[in-house]
Amino acid sequence: MSDDTNPLMMLIWILPIILFVFYGQRIQLYVTSGEIKKAIKKLDGFKVESRDELINYVKKNLKLENDPTKNIDKFLEYFTIMPVDMDPNGIVDKVRHTVRMKEDYTREHIKLLSPQITEIELTKVQTLLEIASSLQMIYKIVNHMFLTAKKQNNYPLILPLQMLLPFIMEQAKAMNDSIPAFKTGQPVGDGIGPMIVGKMMLDAKKETVAFQTVLAKTDFEDRTLFLLKAEGPGSTVGRPAEALESIVSNSHIDAIVMVDAALKMEGEDSASVSHGFGAAIGGIGTERFQIEEIATQKKIPIFSIVVKQSTNEAITLMTKEIADTSDDVRSQIYEMIQENTKQGQSIVVIGVGNTSGVPQ
Amino acid sequence: MIFSKKKTIVAYTIEKCPKCDMQRKRKFVEGDCLFSDSSKCTSCDGLTRIEKIFGQELES
Repeated sequence: MSDDTNPLMMLIWILPIILFVFYGQRIQLYVTSGEIKKAIKKLDGFKVESRDELINYVKKNLKLENDPTKNIDKFLEYFTIMPVDMDPNGIVDKVRHTVRMKEDYTREHIKLLSPQITEIELTKVQTLLEIASSLQMIYKIVNHMFLTAKKQNNYPLILPLQMLLPFIMEQAKAMNDSIPAFKTGQPVGDGIGPMIVGKMMLDAKKETVAFQTVLAKTDFEDRTLFLLKAEGPGSTVGRPAEALESIVSNSHIDAIVMVDAALKMEGEDSASVSHGFGAAIGGIGTERFQIEEIATQKKIPIFSIVVKQSTNEAITLMTKEIADTSDDVRSQIYEMIQENTKQGQSIVVIGVGNTSGVPQ
Repeated sequence: MIFSKKKTIVAYTIEKCPKCDMQRKRKFVEGDCLFSDSSKCTSCDGLTRIEKIFGQELES
């Protein structure tokens, strides 16, 4: 008797087929669940670690009147409801108002924990709080999606989570890895813009032009340079748009040069430098909107220089390759000014990014 | 994974003497801040300034 007609062999062939036809999705759900469970466990670890790091930092570095744990846990649970965008008219102002309100509230409540806190420590605690609450939110959302899919025994529901998970984990790991740099006040990859402009304004007189934003005026080949960056070495991005508005209202500006870190595409070299047009600034978009608005109204051209880097490099301790580009980019800024402006003109140079560990 | 190497990031500080341009690389110490005065220059009587702070990967 050949194998083809052997009933036992037929059963061995047919049984798995029947099994996969009826239970295929469920089997896939179990396999995928295992992977997602591992990722959730990792996310839970990040959440706990970032919270503990924040509490330990506050206890170690601030003069406290009471135990901060309860208050910090309350801060971590805060949420922000973004404005309704059914009618987009005036949405930017509403978003800016909501986000600033949250920032101001958090700042005031950290001050209540320790009234003698310095501005630099305050920005550090605020950043650590932002990291811990973001990691907590990521954990909650991923866990919710996973548990919902499991509860409903719904395999298609778990598919988007499975597809997004590598990207989510990359972001979460980068956030978790960034904690030591912010705690010790080291410069991060995103700080390359402030680092370059900060060095340009070293010997010049500095003044605060907007909240946590400094301005220095220098001359370069018969041109006036308005150098702008967030006030370091605290961990802040400042308010460059407000500062630009203030400069433009007092002086005639002929060009804006922005230096920032930009996310590199896969395959691109880290620390490679690119030139372009338009406002090079990230974030939720309110600062970019305001800068574009000012530039359009006053017909000011915006030139940009970006230093490419990965998500992880942007928020963790600056790599050697990125730090080494600073002198070269500074020369490129001067070249760009020479090529695109005439003598007697005024140019605003903005170093965009988090200025943690970067004074001026 | 069995064959993956654990990567450790070590923070370094680069000090540069504005007088003689001498550069020195040392391990980062808490309190180091970019553009701040650091230590006496070993090759002239100048005072070095912190030029860069960065992380480099060590494979172990």
